[in-house]
Amino acid sequence: MADVLFKGTPAHTSGDLPKVGSKAPDFKLTASDLSDVTLANFKGKKKLLSIAHSLDTGTCADATKRFNDFAKNRPDVVVLVVTADLPFAQARFCTGENLKNVVTLSMMRDRHFAKDYGVLLTDSPIAGLTARSTLVLDENDKVLYTQLGPEITAEPDYDKAFAALK
Amino acid sequence: MANITHRGNPVHTIGELPTVGSRAPDFRLTDANLKDVSLADFKGKKKLLNIFPSIDTPTCALSTRKFNEHAAKHPDVAIIMVSADLPFAQQHFCNVENTHNVRTLSMMRDRNFAKDYGVLLLDGLYRGITARAIVVIDENDRVVHTELVPEIRQEPNYEAALAALK
Repeated sequence: MADVLFKGTPAHTSGDLPKVGSKAPDFKLTASDLSDVTLANFKGKKKLLSIAHSLDTGTCADATKRFNDFAKNRPDVVVLVVTADLPFAQARFCTGENLKNVVTLSMMRDRHFAKDYGVLLTDSPIAGLTARSTLVLDENDKVLYTQLGPEITAEPDYDKAFAALK
Repeated sequence: MANITHRGNPVHTIGELPTVGSRAPDFRLTDANLKDVSLADFKGKKKLLNIFPSIDTPTCALSTRKFNEHAAKHPDVAIIMVSADLPFAQQHFCNVENTHNVRTLSMMRDRNFAKDYGVLLLDGLYRGITARAIVVIDENDRVVHTELVPEIRQEPNYEAALAALK
């Protein structure tokens, strides 16, 4: 369990992020075509996981645009944006903003990903959704970097995440 | 368990809709302000639950517009859209479409409503979200009309639903 803030009010996660140096837990999430995907679908690539509570909120939208810009010049990296938004909302957002370099993945079928990655919020107005976090995985799915955002409505630390992908 | 179709393919729900004449199961869902709402919040009112897979898909959007027209003329009844969309997506839709006469409630925190009302889909592309259904509940929380739409992409029977509210 970790302590974060949502608009300044204490909130708690169900667990802890995977440890740096460990192998990232596998997951099953739903892509925009409603097919299920796992970590193995992105085999051989470095991964940047941007976990947020909803693309229909300001900070998540900003972070997704920033990561999309980064991914433009990094064919060796896949940016996975993971939220509990339904795939229909994720697709609407990406089409509206013309974001083609990120892969959006949805927890529409269950919250196993949120539990396994320790980011499910157990209280606060957005209980049931996820805390803002960033993870970087290497080509072999080893965790290189993690950040649990101390304030959910604040942007992630982009520079440190990008540095971990060098 | 009920048999319906999605784009012509057989799919199954977890259970059955509440029986006409029975007491409607209580629920806990989340409104646009991220507050939890239960059946008791609509005490003394007739209620129409329009349950659907996602407000970001065409048929759901169509039915929301249609019920919004009715709700504008009948402020005494509660016309409630229930889906697994996050409240942010529901709000986005209502703001863009100006459908502020209906209430939107989200299953963002869990799928208990979907299980208790028997509408959770167990298979098909929409597994994990809900079938399309209507439940009309009287002032004393008794179920007076239900419809499980046999093909998810079809619209519900508006006339029958609105007649049950009279």
